[in-house]
Amino acid sequence: MGLNISAAVQIRALADTPLPELPALLVPALGETLAMVGIVMLIVVSLGTPIAVALHNMAPGGLFEHRGTYSVLSWIVNIGRSLPFLVLMAAIVPFTRFVTGTNIGIAAAVVPMSLAGIPFFARLVENCLRDVPRSVTAAARASGGSPLQIIRTAQLGEAVPAILGGLTINTIAMIEYSAIAGTIGAGGIGYVAVTYGYQRFDQTVMLATVLLLIAMVTIVQLGGDALVKATTPHLRRRA
Amino acid sequence: MITLKKLTKVYGNGPGALTVLDNLDIEVAPGEILAVTGPSGAGKSTLAQCIGLLERPTSGQVIVNGEDLASLPERRLRVARRRIGTIFQSASLLSRSTAAQNVALPLQYLGVTPAETKARVAELLERVGLAHRADHYPFELSGGQRQRVGIARALALRPSVLLSDEATSGLDPETTLSMVALLRQLRDDLDLAVVFVTHEMDTVLHVADTAARLEDGRIVEQGRLVDLVTDHDSVLGRALQPRPAAAAPAPGSTPWALSYDSRAVPADWLQRVSAELGEPLALLAASIQSIDGTSTGTATVGLRAPAHQAAAAFARQGLHAVPVRTAGPDPVSTAVPRATEELQWA
Ligand SMILES: Nc1ncnc2c1ncn2[C@@H]1O[C@H](COP(=O)(O)OP(=O)(O)OP(=O)(O)O)[C@@H](O)[C@H]1O
Ligand SMILES: [Mg+2]
Repeated sequence: MGLNISAAVQIRALADTPLPELPALLVPALGETLAMVGIVMLIVVSLGTPIAVALHNMAPGGLFEHRGTYSVLSWIVNIGRSLPFLVLMAAIVPFTRFVTGTNIGIAAAVVPMSLAGIPFFARLVENCLRDVPRSVTAAARASGGSPLQIIRTAQLGEAVPAILGGLTINTIAMIEYSAIAGTIGAGGIGYVAVTYGYQRFDQTVMLATVLLLIAMVTIVQLGGDALVKATTPHLRRRA
Repeated sequence: MITLKKLTKVYGNGPGALTVLDNLDIEVAPGEILAVTGPSGAGKSTLAQCIGLLERPTSGQVIVNGEDLASLPERRLRVARRRIGTIFQSASLLSRSTAAQNVALPLQYLGVTPAETKARVAELLERVGLAHRADHYPFELSGGQRQRVGIARALALRPSVLLSDEATSGLDPETTLSMVALLRQLRDDLDLAVVFVTHEMDTVLHVADTAARLEDGRIVEQGRLVDLVTDHDSVLGRALQPRPAAAAPAPGSTPWALSYDSRAVPADWLQRVSAELGEPLALLAASIQSIDGTSTGTATVGLRAPAHQAAAAFARQGLHAVPVRTAGPDPVSTAVPRATEELQWA
C-alpha cells in the first residue's frame, strides 16, 4: 500500500505540468469551452423559447389551446429530458455524424448538448410563463393585442427576470455538459481535465481545471443574478 | 350602447355540459351604469368575459353600437374588442412597465405613433388623477392607484362600453368610494355604457343606475336602483339595504320593521306617524340614504298602538311595515333578524 502511494506520488511528480506552461494548455481549452457553450446556448435559446411559448399557449387556457399537439410536444420534450447526458451523447452518435460529418470535436459536441439543452430550457421557460398571472394575458387580449404582441409583451416580457434566472441555470448545466463532452474528445476544459488530470495523474492541471470551472460557473451565476436584478423594477429601485 | 340578446354560454359538451349563462337579455344605454350582482358561481365573471369577448358565447348576440360582435371571426374580434374597455380585478398591469407604459399598451398594439401615444397617455393619466405617477412602476403604486392605471388603460382606445369585473373588490372602503366617484365622473364625461360586476352590495348602491341579479346563469331581477330599493318585494332591493341590528324595544311595545316603499316618503314621517297615533315612536335602528335624489332606506321602530292602526299610519307615509315577531324572552333574539337567506350573499 505504502509503496503504491509513493509510486503514484512519483509518477505525479514526474508528470505534473510546470506552472508557467499552464496558460498555453488552458487558454485554448477555455476558448473551446466558451465557444461550445456559447454556440449551444444560442441554439438552445432560439429553439427552446418558441417551444416553451408553444407549450404554454397550447396548454388548457392558453392563447391557442390544443390538447393533442400539446401532448405530443410535451412528450417529445420529456424524452429529451429523460436521458442522462452521457447516454444521450452515446446514443445519438450516428445522428451527430450525419449532421456534422464527424463524431469528435466541438461541432460534434454541439449536437448532443443542444439536444439536451433545448428541452431543458423549454421546460424552464414554460414554468416562468406559467408564473405570469393569467389575468395579465387577459388584459393584453382585452387591449386588442395580436397573439404575437401578447406573447412578446404580456408573457415573455413579464417573465424576463425569471427567464434570465433559467438561462443562468441552463448555461451552468451546459458548462457541465461541455466537460462531459470533453471525454469523447470534444476539446475544452473537460478534455484537458480528463486527459491530463485523470489519465496522467497531473494534479496541477486537475486543480487548475477545477478552479477554472468554479470561476466560470461563479461568473455566470453572478452575471445572471445581476441581469435578473437589472430587469426587475423593485429590485432595481431598492438598490 | 350595449345589448345582449339571448346570450348563452355552455362549458363542455355532452352529458357533462354546464350551462353557465342561460338566455340573458340585457341592455345598457350610454351614460348608464348597470351593476350585475349575484352569489358566487352565478356566472358573473363568465358574463363579463363574454361581454369583453374574451370568451366566445355559445349562442346569442353581443351588440355594441348596432353591430353583433359575438359572431365575428377571430381576427376581427380582436379589433372589435377595442370598443369595449375592460378593468380587471387587481388591475393586472405589466409589472415591468411604468404606469405610462401600461396605459400606452393598447395604443402600442394598435400602432399609434409615439408622439400621439405620449399625448394621449398624458391626457388619460391626468383624467384618472395620476399625472404625477406616470413614471412609477406598479409596485410603487397603491391598490387604488393601480386600479386607476387599469381604468386609464381601459379607456385608451376610446371605447363606448366599459366593463369591470370585481374592480373594487379587495380595496378598502374609502378607495372604493373614490373609484366609484371616478367611474361615475367618466360615465358622465364620456357617455359610457358601464357594466359593473361586483358582489359588494354597498358598492352597487353607490355606483349603479340599474342593477341586475344573476342566479344560476339567469337574470332573476333587473331594474332601476330606485325602483328596486323602494319595492319591498324585491329580493335585490332588500339585499341592497341590509338592516342594521335593532335595539330592544321598551317593555310592552312592539318592534316594527319598516322600509321605504315609495318615492314620496316624507322626511318627517317619524313625527307624522307619531302625531297620528298619539304616542312617541322609539327609533331602534335606521339606515336612510338618497338614491338619485329619492330617499330610501329601512328602519325599526318600537310602539304600543294596535297593529292595524299602526300599519295604516305607516302606509299613509309610503312605508312598508311589518311587526317583528318577538320569539322569546331573550331580548337579543327579539332584535330584527339581520341575515335572511337572500341576504347571505350581500
Ligand atoms: N372555463 C370554464 N370551464 C368550465 N366551467 C367554468 C369555466 N369558467 C367558469 N366555469 C363555471 O361557471 C360557473 C360560473 O363561474 P363564474 O366565475 O362566472 O362565477 P362568478 O359569478 O363570477 O362567481 P364569483 O362571485 O365567485 O366570482 C361556475 O360554476 C364555474 O365553475
Ligand atoms: Mg367572478
